[in-house]
Amino acid sequence: MKAMPTLEGGLRIDAEDASDWELLRCVIGDAQGCEHDLASRLGAVIDEAAGGLDWNEYVVPDLREEFNDALAQVGAAIESAIFHAEGGPGPLWITPEDVFPWYSSFNQARLAIEEHFKFSSTLNIDLETLTPERQAALIRSEFYSDIQNLLLKYVMR
Amino acid sequence: MMEHPDTLTRTGEETSLDVPWNVVVHDDPVNLIRYVVLIFMKIFGYDVKKATILTLQVHQLGRAILWSGEREKAEFYVQQLQTHQLKSSLEKAA
Repeated sequence: MKAMPTLEGGLRIDAEDASDWELLRCVIGDAQGCEHDLASRLGAVIDEAAGGLDWNEYVVPDLREEFNDALAQVGAAIESAIFHAEGGPGPLWITPEDVFPWYSSFNQARLAIEEHFKFSSTLNIDLETLTPERQAALIRSEFYSDIQNLLLKYVMR
Repeated sequence: MMEHPDTLTRTGEETSLDVPWNVVVHDDPVNLIRYVVLIFMKIFGYDVKKATILTLQVHQLGRAILWSGEREKAEFYVQQLQTHQLKSSLEKAA
């Protein structure tokens, strides 16, 4: 997979084969892979004295809708790109207008991976010592982070 | 209906200052520093220097107060921060 900035201020990601598309598809599953979704986890930060019950009733549903909309938009864009590339080599375009749903989706995926695997609590993680499931999750999380850094550097300036 | 002749009515006004509310951002191991700076600038209109100082404060101290003031506005800011997936809360100022 290759990624590069475009002249229009966006980012182009070139998938080279089916496994690249699978990796991109994982962002949706990873983002939705937590027992408690991100909106609930953020809502839980508001304590009762600050109106936590109302927050959960009125704000959390809006957050949930916002996060799910971003995932739906990104999921559709990935599937459309795969369709046009017929599952083989092909480009995926992230325009400046669409950058926030993309960034949001990669971030949701990384937050969910961290919530589930708690990688940050271990210093200097040695990939060799991890189970295959944890290895794959860590690699995906680092891949999402790399794309986010490119988005920040070239698109969200 | 006639008013009871023994009833006294006293009216008065009392004002007190509202306790301000703090908008607090908590550190998390996922959000990228560059992103957090960008969001502080976008939501609060802070310049890059102030946004960077506050971001580093969150990162190094575990939390930072981003803004203090009336509750309604504090709620709005926290909602904006959470929409951008930043771990944030509001608390009464001490």
